[in-house]
Amino acid sequence: MQGMIPEDVAKEMEGDPRLSALLADLQEALRSAEDMDSLERVRVAFLGRKGKITSLLQGIRELPAEERRRLGRLGNALKGHLEEELGRRRERLLVEELEESLHRERIDITLPGRHVNFGTRHLLSRIIEEIEDIFVGMGYRVVEGPEVELDYYNFEALNTPDWHPSKSLQDTFYVEVPGGDYEDVLLRTHTSPVQVRVMESTPPPLYVIAPGKAYRHDVPDATHSPMFHQVEGLAVDEGISLGDLKGTLEVFARKMFGEDRRVRFRPHFFPFTEPSAEVDVSCNICGGGGCRVCKGTGWLEILGAGMVDPNVFSYVGYDAEKYSGFAFGMGVERIALLKYGVPDIRFFFDNDLRLLRQY
Amino acid sequence: MRVSLQWLAEYVDLELDAWELAELLTASGTAVESVEKVAGEWRGVVVGRVLEASPHPSADRLTLCKVDVGGEVRDIVCGAPNVAAGILAPVALPGARLPDGTVIGEASIRGVTSQGMLLSEKELGVSEEAEGIMILEEGAREGMDLGEALAAEDTVLVLEITPNRPDCLCMLGVAREVAALTGKELRRPSFSIAETGDPAEGEVRVEILDGDLCSRYVARLIDGVSIGPSPWWMRKRLRGAGVRPINNVVDVTNYVMLELGQPLHAFDYHLLEGGHIIVRRASPTDALTTLDGVQRGLSPDDLLICDSSGPVALAGVMGGENTEVSPGTVKVLLESAHFDPASIMRTSRRHDIASEASYRFERGVDPGGCRYAADRAAFLMQELAGGAVRPGAVDAVAREIEPLRLRMRVGRSGRLIGIPLSQHEAVGILRSLGMGAVAVSEDEVEVEVPTFRPDLEREIDLVEEVARLYGYERVPSTLPRTASNVGQLTFAQRMRRELARVLVGAGLHEAITVSFIPSSWLDVLDRERECLPSEVLRLRNPLSEEASIMRPSLLPGLLEALRFNLNRRIMDVHLFELGRVFLPREGEKLPGEPLRLACAITGRWVPKQWDRQPEEADFFTLKGIWELLACSLHVEGWSLRRATFPFLHPPRSCALMLNGEAAGYMGMVHPRVAQHLEIPAQTAVMEVDVEPLLQAVRAVPEYREIPRFPAVQMDLAVVVGDEVDAGAVEAVIREAGGELLREVRLFDLYRGEQLMQGEKSLAYNLVFYALDRTLRDEEAQDIWREIVRSLGERLGARLR
Ligand SMILES: [Zn+2]
Repeated sequence: MQGMIPEDVAKEMEGDPRLSALLADLQEALRSAEDMDSLERVRVAFLGRKGKITSLLQGIRELPAEERRRLGRLGNALKGHLEEELGRRRERLLVEELEESLHRERIDITLPGRHVNFGTRHLLSRIIEEIEDIFVGMGYRVVEGPEVELDYYNFEALNTPDWHPSKSLQDTFYVEVPGGDYEDVLLRTHTSPVQVRVMESTPPPLYVIAPGKAYRHDVPDATHSPMFHQVEGLAVDEGISLGDLKGTLEVFARKMFGEDRRVRFRPHFFPFTEPSAEVDVSCNICGGGGCRVCKGTGWLEILGAGMVDPNVFSYVGYDAEKYSGFAFGMGVERIALLKYGVPDIRFFFDNDLRLLRQY
Repeated sequence: MRVSLQWLAEYVDLELDAWELAELLTASGTAVESVEKVAGEWRGVVVGRVLEASPHPSADRLTLCKVDVGGEVRDIVCGAPNVAAGILAPVALPGARLPDGTVIGEASIRGVTSQGMLLSEKELGVSEEAEGIMILEEGAREGMDLGEALAAEDTVLVLEITPNRPDCLCMLGVAREVAALTGKELRRPSFSIAETGDPAEGEVRVEILDGDLCSRYVARLIDGVSIGPSPWWMRKRLRGAGVRPINNVVDVTNYVMLELGQPLHAFDYHLLEGGHIIVRRASPTDALTTLDGVQRGLSPDDLLICDSSGPVALAGVMGGENTEVSPGTVKVLLESAHFDPASIMRTSRRHDIASEASYRFERGVDPGGCRYAADRAAFLMQELAGGAVRPGAVDAVAREIEPLRLRMRVGRSGRLIGIPLSQHEAVGILRSLGMGAVAVSEDEVEVEVPTFRPDLEREIDLVEEVARLYGYERVPSTLPRTASNVGQLTFAQRMRRELARVLVGAGLHEAITVSFIPSSWLDVLDRERECLPSEVLRLRNPLSEEASIMRPSLLPGLLEALRFNLNRRIMDVHLFELGRVFLPREGEKLPGEPLRLACAITGRWVPKQWDRQPEEADFFTLKGIWELLACSLHVEGWSLRRATFPFLHPPRSCALMLNGEAAGYMGMVHPRVAQHLEIPAQTAVMEVDVEPLLQAVRAVPEYREIPRFPAVQMDLAVVVGDEVDAGAVEAVIREAGGELLREVRLFDLYRGEQLMQGEKSLAYNLVFYALDRTLRDEEAQDIWREIVRSLGERLGARLR
């Protein structure tokens, strides 16, 4: 009852013997009212048609006017306060009841979640997409060419002489064409023939990359596969320089391998570029100090590149005096081996779910 | 190419250590693959002088020696036949360790104590020579550590020489690079020959009949040689370079080849008929047995060295047995010639001989260096084999090969590299490489290319020389001005990615399988070639029969991947692949390479869980994936049509139609195929051509009005004969339902007790609404009744 009735009203009631008795009864009744039923009993006992407060208020009619007003005021105040109190208690009981019933609905959240099937992109596809995205971001288009190629595109127009060792049956797969006796149909040994095809069909300026499969006559082992993936790149424009090639591949290498990686360009030789370069990134395993993966050099070779040889331009009818360009090619499996630590190139084509699910 | 730094230092001052030098060479295009420290692995082996050698009292073959090992004389028992008083030889003292791990101790041999051991080259691990003990040259002190006496400590750089740089296949060439890179002077070997006797001219005649294949032939005559082993230092250098020492005369030819890059050949002059050298193509009657003992059938394309009676060598590739230098040889005809690279390559390929000589000739030997190399070798034979060099050389020139003259535009070259290049700098770099370079105008430089650089033929070749000597590292990194260029994937490229993404989201793993398949697979899948093409693309030179055909379908590879996993006890396999297949085209050299999408699933699609039963993958799992794909990509105008394929379960397969054309298949594998491949028959597969699929994609889906008025939902359960397809029922429902029927969804299929044999019940949920008003229930009921009537009339269906 404490706090239910304002203090001054309570004091006034104490002074009246009828009211003080009523108040005492009410306090007693409320003290034990801890559930809905007893609350209802209190309501009936005091506020019902024959309830004590109701009766009090009915009985004041016979009293003198002043006394009637005073008791009426106090009685109504008591009625209002009691109704409020009952409401409060009911609400509290409802909340407690709900809480209790929810508690009974406890679940074991450590049980496994309901199965949802889980699929993965092949690691090589992801790497190719990553490479594509980096170059698309630098303004390149993605183009494709056939995997079964003509000698002309794979070798000749790439300035590779007829006697070149890579053309031998030990290095290149040749294809039998049904109904024809041709010796110049082969599985492309690199994605570079796409360069020639694109230049044949598109005038400069040209900024393209060409991802795809390539084939070499290698018996499979940990680092060789007769089928593998490459991404070729080609930029031809006015005023393209070796410095542009360096800048472009530095951007690529850092985006692909990490911003903190160092990039190194070493002169090299390819038949269809001049000057040519091999490009290394600093070894992430030893940080450049030398380890087994980088064979003690601190560097990992990731791609070959160079300025497009003027002979190649003359094959496709580009003006080598007006335009210059650079080209590069990288092995996707090699990047996967280096970036993801897959130890054996054959794993990529086994399609072992235990490997596929890891990426 | 293996380069000993000790040897290299004869031609150029080396102020850098091996690692610095390696870095410098690598940065200029001569990649250093490894740096090898070479040290004598001998501990406790010293130089000893045999003071006395007397027979062992109780063993004929053994010798008792008194050996001075430096201030101390030891008794050593030796079994070698060549031991003699006065010689210097390596001695292993007790406690010494040999390279093979043997530790030498004091030993009693037939009653005589041996306080050490005289060693053979084999025991020292320096050669296979085990016949006698190694005899050291005078000059070493008794007691000196053997490693020191032999100057055995050395560093070898293993260089990767690119095919365009034949000039670097010799010590002098590498030294030239090093000199250019370090600004040092190049020292060519200098020597002087003491010519004696009659001029060579009188006894040697050289005729070049095929001047297109041999531009020049220099012959020198060295008389009175005594054949024997070369001195240790030469054998060491040869071995260090990977060449097996043979005898002093042959070793000299190899040594000079390694030193100057000119392959040489020594003939036993007395075995050459008429002292006559004829250089000509082979004729059909020619025959030759080469030094390796193989009788060679010759082709008219092979260039031969002949004497008056016939072939004596396969020019530039290998000498003949008939004129080989042997221990009895006293007079040597030395050949130093220049042969055509392509011809040498063809001959070396044809006969499958890869010799040090052919390797160099193939790549290009300096046509101007024949005489100098001949002189150098003659000098060394004079010094090491005691030969008398006859005055003069017989120098036959069929074709004069003049140095090439080129012009380089300095401004353009600098722009191509991306550096500010001055004429002074360009000239300096070119000269450092041994080229003649003169400024001829403000911009241009005229360059005389020495004959040892056959790779420099064009201006761009000179640009490369300047760039690599300038240093790629010094070239500033820039980016092309591509502002006008927009990079973007094409619609098809984006859709292909989307396709893969949807399938991954659906729970499939992407596989990449190799494009070659075994020919036997075709028979397994389609013996009669009903579906797979009858003509396939075969490899002329497959690695094996198992990888001999370019796949005409993705199915074999995917099923193989399935099997790979099953064999590893991974039983639930859900795979897809996006890749090209290869289909020959009539009248075309190149095949069609359509991109295909294939899926294969087997095992459980949903595993058993703590509150769920497992769900097996089947036809409808795959169909669901296809529907998801079609829906996500907005593929329009597709359908499945009952069809049989030889590799699919006949009534559980269908053709996938896109805009009325068959574009693929879907079904369960044929039990026969499953059995053959040892995969479960419960395997669902599909394959579809990606191009028609993407053509059926609606790139920009159309806006369809969203209903604002409530819909009426009604259920419909009908009984039809078992042979009636659900698709036919749905088609009738949709047709009879008209445009107000918006959705039809099958939610139950029942066969069993409550129905007659051969009947099934199908229950549908139907959704009706109008876009312009609230549909009254009566309207929907009218349509519903029309549907029921139509089903009864057309399919004999009754309400359930
Ligand atoms: Zn490392």
